[in-house]
Amino acid sequence: MAYSSLNKRVVFIKFRMIQTENLTYQYKKRGAILSFPNIALEKGKNLLILGESGIGKTTLLHLLAGLLKPVTGNVFIDNTDLNALKSNKLDKFRGKNIGLVFQKKHAIVSLNVFNNLKARLLFSNALVHNKKIEIVLKQLGLSELKKNKISELSEGQLQRLGIALSVIHNPKVLLADEPTSSLDDKNCKIVIKLLKNQAKQTNANLIVITHDHRIKSFFQNSITL
Amino acid sequence: MNIWIISIQNIKSKPLYTFLSVFILSISIALLLGIQQLKRSFENQIENNLGKIDVVVGAKGSPLQLVLASVLHLDNPTGNISYNEALKISKNPLIKFAVPISYGDNYKGFRIVGTTPEYIALYDGELEKGHPVENAMEVILGNSVARKLNLKIGDTLLSSHGLVENSIEEHDDLLIVVGILKPTQKVIDRLIVTNLESVWYVHDHGGEVNYERHDDNKRHGEKEITSLLINFKSPRGLLPFLRRINKRTNMQASLPKYELHKLYENTSIGFKTISLIAYLILVISCITIFISLYKMVKERAFDLAILRTYGASNFQLMKMVFYEGLIVAFSSFLLGFLLLKIGLGFMFHFMEYNDQQNMLQESLFQDVLQIGALILMMVIVSVSLAIYPIIKMNISTILSNEK
Repeated sequence: MAYSSLNKRVVFIKFRMIQTENLTYQYKKRGAILSFPNIALEKGKNLLILGESGIGKTTLLHLLAGLLKPVTGNVFIDNTDLNALKSNKLDKFRGKNIGLVFQKKHAIVSLNVFNNLKARLLFSNALVHNKKIEIVLKQLGLSELKKNKISELSEGQLQRLGIALSVIHNPKVLLADEPTSSLDDKNCKIVIKLLKNQAKQTNANLIVITHDHRIKSFFQNSITL
Repeated sequence: MNIWIISIQNIKSKPLYTFLSVFILSISIALLLGIQQLKRSFENQIENNLGKIDVVVGAKGSPLQLVLASVLHLDNPTGNISYNEALKISKNPLIKFAVPISYGDNYKGFRIVGTTPEYIALYDGELEKGHPVENAMEVILGNSVARKLNLKIGDTLLSSHGLVENSIEEHDDLLIVVGILKPTQKVIDRLIVTNLESVWYVHDHGGEVNYERHDDNKRHGEKEITSLLINFKSPRGLLPFLRRINKRTNMQASLPKYELHKLYENTSIGFKTISLIAYLILVISCITIFISLYKMVKERAFDLAILRTYGASNFQLMKMVFYEGLIVAFSSFLLGFLLLKIGLGFMFHFMEYNDQQNMLQESLFQDVLQIGALILMMVIVSVSLAIYPIIKMNISTILSNEK
């Protein structure tokens, strides 16, 4: 880490892949202040964050991904303080180290399945490796659909593509926002298992934020907002 | 995989908008280039036809008519002048060379011009086949004449009196083709050139004489010509020479460049109007491009936000949108150029047939470059406006609104 001011902290957070301190966020100047519990996650560990709608789940996820700047507090990912990064560097850091899985939309509609994965690798400055894309597609059961348009995929297939897109570049952290809430029980199970598998294979930390209690049993660690 | 490919895929995914933008932009490009080219072609045609002629001396009358008749061969002459007088004028030391021309007959609508060998040199004409005129009654043909009438060396022709095609007033004397000129894109392409003696001979022995000037010709037994084309050593001697001719003789001297410039001034309003319309179309087409890019950015806000989470920087997204505009502009340019070539091809074909004019068909690189730069500028402006929402984009808000 080139930031000398961080040197002292490096010792402190040495074994944590993700660490947050006193995170708060405020949408409007006089709006309610959302404050979040501290999170500290060792490498390879997963976390489920449960909470009802409107409680600020997505806000927390966006704070963790550096998409929002907290009013107070800090987010450290792999010993890097997201707050300290300039916007361009933050984009690159996010692209390289974080994989995001969303609830519904996942991919760029003008590109087909295969090209979406290629674009994902391109923008995260990773090597564009066709073989790697093939492997991930196979693991997620999408090999047959690689030439398909995004609009031709079913909801379950889309969710699997979303997972492929979030893991293809071997991120250190996998953040999933309500990945299962629009799926039926069967697909819910498949998706959560795939997410966990992919996280394990790439040795990434998986954080799932959801109000979907069906998946509680899949996680050892969970907190409720 | 690079940003170009993503841009191309984006364009492919909205064929209607792309088609509309390319279509309208290419039409305006074709129009703009076409007008420029027509204008240049027109100017070039006339400029070319002036050749090295600085001054025309002819019978008194309208100076413009003299220029149109003796230089562009489009009008009737103002009258005749004395050959001896013309020879006297030619001896002026300021004159580099002076070419007498005499005409009054045609063959199937093509004018027969009696002159000296320097006439061909005025237009840098060269023989394609045959030899120059050596004796009276020999003619060499301009390239268009030979081509249109399908004449070869050794063919003979009967001239008719007057400058328009007619079969009633045919002369009896046969003219023989001895040479054919290479194409020059100048007025000489549609002329039949012979020596002065041939014209005098035909009219001295040719029987009926209808024109008054021919009566004069006969009555005085003096040789006459229609006009004298003069090339000066330096432009300095021009004005005093002009003044002297116009004041002291019964002839007039006219400046072709000046006369034709006056003519353009009064006729260029048409070009200006069409140019204006073409520029308006260009503005409209750029607005279309802007709307389509802006819509793309707005509709794809989520896509763009996702690309940002992939690690794309704002700059990369701008590049992507800019490339899209560039691809549309470039393909429009190619299509516009194609449309122009086809359109002008038809038009020139038609004009050449009717007016026996050879027109310049090549687009000037300078014009293409100029219009290309203009299009590029317009695209940059409309793309910059369309990109603005990207810069303002709040990824978090867009991603949160997804549900």
